[in-house]
Amino acid sequence: MSIYYYLAAFLFCLGLLGTIFKKDLISILLCLELMMSGVALLFILFSKSTGFLGAQLMVIFTMIISACEVAIGLSLIIALYRKKQTIYTDDIKIITE
Amino acid sequence: MYLNYLASISRYIPELLLVMLMVGLILIETTYANDDKNKRYIFITAISGLVVTFISLLLNLDGKSETIFNNSMVIDSFSTTMKMIMVLGTLGAYYLSTISKEIYESLKTEFIIMAIGILIGGMILASANNMLMMYIGIETLSIISYVMAALKKNDERSSEAGLKYALYGGISSGIMLFGMSHIFGVIGTIQFTGMAANIAKLDHTQILIMMPSFVLFFAGIGYKIAAVPFHMWSPDVYEGSPTPVTTFFAIVPKLAGISALVRVTMIFFSTASPLSVMWVGLMMVIAALTMTVGNVSAIGQKSVKRMLAYSSISHAGIMIAGLVVLNKIGIQAIVFYSMIYLFMTLVAFYITNIVQDKYGNDHFERFQGLAYRYPYMAIMMSIVMFSLTGLPPLAGFVAKWNIINSLLSSKFYTLAIVLVLNSVVSAYYYLKIVRLMTLKQPESTEEIEGFGFLNQFIIVAMTAPVIILGIFWDSVMNIAYNAKLFIP
Repeated sequence: MSIYYYLAAFLFCLGLLGTIFKKDLISILLCLELMMSGVALLFILFSKSTGFLGAQLMVIFTMIISACEVAIGLSLIIALYRKKQTIYTDDIKIITE
Repeated sequence: MYLNYLASISRYIPELLLVMLMVGLILIETTYANDDKNKRYIFITAISGLVVTFISLLLNLDGKSETIFNNSMVIDSFSTTMKMIMVLGTLGAYYLSTISKEIYESLKTEFIIMAIGILIGGMILASANNMLMMYIGIETLSIISYVMAALKKNDERSSEAGLKYALYGGISSGIMLFGMSHIFGVIGTIQFTGMAANIAKLDHTQILIMMPSFVLFFAGIGYKIAAVPFHMWSPDVYEGSPTPVTTFFAIVPKLAGISALVRVTMIFFSTASPLSVMWVGLMMVIAALTMTVGNVSAIGQKSVKRMLAYSSISHAGIMIAGLVVLNKIGIQAIVFYSMIYLFMTLVAFYITNIVQDKYGNDHFERFQGLAYRYPYMAIMMSIVMFSLTGLPPLAGFVAKWNIINSLLSSKFYTLAIVLVLNSVVSAYYYLKIVRLMTLKQPESTEEIEGFGFLNQFIIVAMTAPVIILGIFWDSVMNIAYNAKLFIP
């Protein structure tokens, strides 16, 4: 059990750090997926240890919803790319104080 | 089993009506040509559909509180009241979208279709009774919001707002899920039913695991409310998206988040335990920070829309402050505050949008001398601004008074003082608009087309509750008093 927990926590932290420190939007989206897979692993793990199957439902919904989120995110990136010809976060800051 | 589901569906009619309305609007939209300006049937269908939903919610209000769909949703008068407020907010934002020039003519139908989608998400969130429904509600709310913020697809600011919203939203929902998984791992169920007994059984180590888990869990809801550590997206998104969308965001997702937060708080923490002490402390800090940061940041703004965004952050802080007392008085104060907040926000955004449509931007200077050209509108804006500040005899005062009353009745003196001091700070930037409208001369004498007779009438009609409820507030307070939270 514990090694899987560490793996899940590692995946989650890797994704979280990636979303904070990465500079291009595609990588940020990938890191988001990494976070979600870490969480999904955690749910499976706890579902096995507590014996409550409802949490596996949670995993399926997590996967579906994160796929939707990434689809929306990609389409927004494309919309912005058509305007600015870049996907780097430093170049697309328009709204400021 | 099947009869059980039928009985559940009979309590779930408002949401089903909205789903049918959404699908129906998509179908009606296909019958129009792409550049058709006058989509009259969509307007009629949307307005009448929302009104019918409101009526069916009203009919649901008196029924007994119960859980439906195998304990996954709970229908009680609290959630029904919050849903009614959300439906009214959608109606207001929809009418604004039809008169606004901010949204392209061809995308106006899209606005209401997506708004109804978000409303459905908010309704799921308001009556969620397990973690799965709560997550689905938040994501239904969020995913459509991302698209809606980017509605002006040829405007890079709008696309940027949508992208920022999507990234922040994805990260915070991931963090929330991480917290949820740990809560599940400790308690062993995702159902909220009978949670108080489960909490009472925890031992010392388990409580230590639960504390950070709940802080992480709060990230997801706090992001929807724009509570302070998670508020960074809010001003940018509010400024970048078209004004009707901003109006909608300031009302529906925020109130849905507040009602989810109230439910979570009352389910997990209404019994005394170390966890509830931790949560009350956390909520106190967050409420104080949210109010203060919102108000202080609003002071230096040039754009009225951004100022209203920060002010809506601070109002969310005031609503969270009503939560720390963990009893019925606080919940009633929050429900009452939401009702008043709805009208004040709608009027402020209506007038801002109409002025902005005329001049192309929404800086404070555009309001100069409005009192000389459109005195009624200037009076309405001033009334709303005074009410947002919280001056008697307007409704905003009563709403704030109720929150402070609930705080004082449970001896949270520090938070009450912070709240009052924040009202003083907020007076500075709210009254700046009043000063510009009355004391400065107008820049130009051109007519503002948006202020036609009908629109002026609607704005006056929406301001009327702000004035009337400031004095005769007991009838509405009764509605809030009857909004009882049902904890299964």
